[in-house]
Amino acid sequence: MIDFARVQKELQECSRDIEASGIRVSPKSDNLGCLIGTIPGPIGTPYEGGTFQIDISLPDGYPFEPPKMQFATKVWHPNISSQSGAICLDILKDQWSPALTLKTALLSVQALLSAPEPDDPQDAVVAQQYLRDYQTFIGTARYWTETFAKASSLGVEEKVQKLAEMGFPEALVRSTLEAVGGDENLALEKLCSG
Amino acid sequence: MRNQEGPQADEESEAATSIPTSELDDWANFGDDDIMQQQSAIRAEEAVKTLFVGDKEPLSTLAAEYQSGSPILLEKIKVLGEKYAAIRRTRGDGNCFFRSFMFSYLEHILESQDREEVDRVKANVEQCRKTLQSLGYADFTFEDFFALFLEQLDSVLQGNETSISQQDEILLRSRDQSISDYVVMFFRFVTSGEIRKRSEFFEPFITGLTNATVEQFCKSSVEPMGEESDHVHITALSDALGVPIRVVYLDRSSCDSGGVSVNHHDFVPAVGDLPNASGSSETVTPFITLLYRPGHYDILYQK
Repeated sequence: MIDFARVQKELQECSRDIEASGIRVSPKSDNLGCLIGTIPGPIGTPYEGGTFQIDISLPDGYPFEPPKMQFATKVWHPNISSQSGAICLDILKDQWSPALTLKTALLSVQALLSAPEPDDPQDAVVAQQYLRDYQTFIGTARYWTETFAKASSLGVEEKVQKLAEMGFPEALVRSTLEAVGGDENLALEKLCSG
Repeated sequence: MRNQEGPQADEESEAATSIPTSELDDWANFGDDDIMQQQSAIRAEEAVKTLFVGDKEPLSTLAAEYQSGSPILLEKIKVLGEKYAAIRRTRGDGNCFFRSFMFSYLEHILESQDREEVDRVKANVEQCRKTLQSLGYADFTFEDFFALFLEQLDSVLQGNETSISQQDEILLRSRDQSISDYVVMFFRFVTSGEIRKRSEFFEPFITGLTNATVEQFCKSSVEPMGEESDHVHITALSDALGVPIRVVYLDRSSCDSGGVSVNHHDFVPAVGDLPNASGSSETVTPFITLLYRPGHYDILYQK
């Protein structure tokens, strides 16, 4: 049985210092077992300026068992699956303790964004890129932040749709947009010339 | 083998088809969930074998365990038998020290009805609460665990509304996960708080064990459930609550003089801010005696 009284207290405490931490946790519905966490991308990283949403589901044994956390916002990071958003972090597994909270766990996730551990990867492709071609990694991570983690990134889907409607394959549109840093006109130029 | 449709291959293919091939292709899918699931499966398996806290057994059952084993151990168990009558086993889930301590302590209070001791421990518990607050722990992270432990203390003293009079009842509670785990976690908080409060004292012991800082050690080896305890944990808990603990060591070490002896170590709580006066005090006889075999603690009963 989830200790809902405790979850309630956690939510209160978290909203109290939202100004200082920038960390937000709110219930998805009336059911406190499913929550959404929000963390700002750390300054000085390719995630800066982005707002990342994390799906949280609490197991029956919470707080004895760790909360399940998964990025809902797509993110390019060695310890986060670029496909599923799964996070590789010890405190979400065997290093969890009831002394931790949803807020401290989200702070750790935020710290993970600042300090990737490519030797213990969740996403092997990203980790390889991080180790072998760091500049490209930074570029891709920044692009993903621009595309998926910013309010204006809603526009990207529209751009994709617009270009796809012109008859270009959607996958090609996406990769081209990615390659030119999200500029619609440059992408169109490239698509036409390619 | 490859033909999964074939009726012959039914048996072999069952295992393979139970995992969708797409998952096999993607190692990223073997993530936290799978690891957690495996862990809980292992725990469930262990749970069937041993209760959190077992029944009292005569010491002879310990000897039976080593019948075909090391002669030194058998010899030592014989020596143990001169002073100790019985053993109570605990589950080997990494929380055995804390669970042994919980049961032994509550059992002692139930039998002795020592109100002075309870008042003393309660005062120490309040001190621990302040320690955690000053270390920056949010109240809601530990208050439930504290409340549940204090409830257990009250219930073993007679004359309260919620009193229990039977040892069986402590046993039931120690075996009830919703109580037992909460008390274990209470001890983990107390232990962690004490170590961090006196980090200068504990630092050399911790750096001897791992490369971690005191804070890292507490986060990774004290506060998570299932992390095993050693002398650092025992010293800290004994000091924080002011409860002496005797640990009797049963291992294969022997002395050159030929004779076999069983070593024990008394953890005697510090007074005030003085470090734990381990073993130096002859006047204090701990009422809690634990049997340590490498990696595990059980409860011992004197004759």
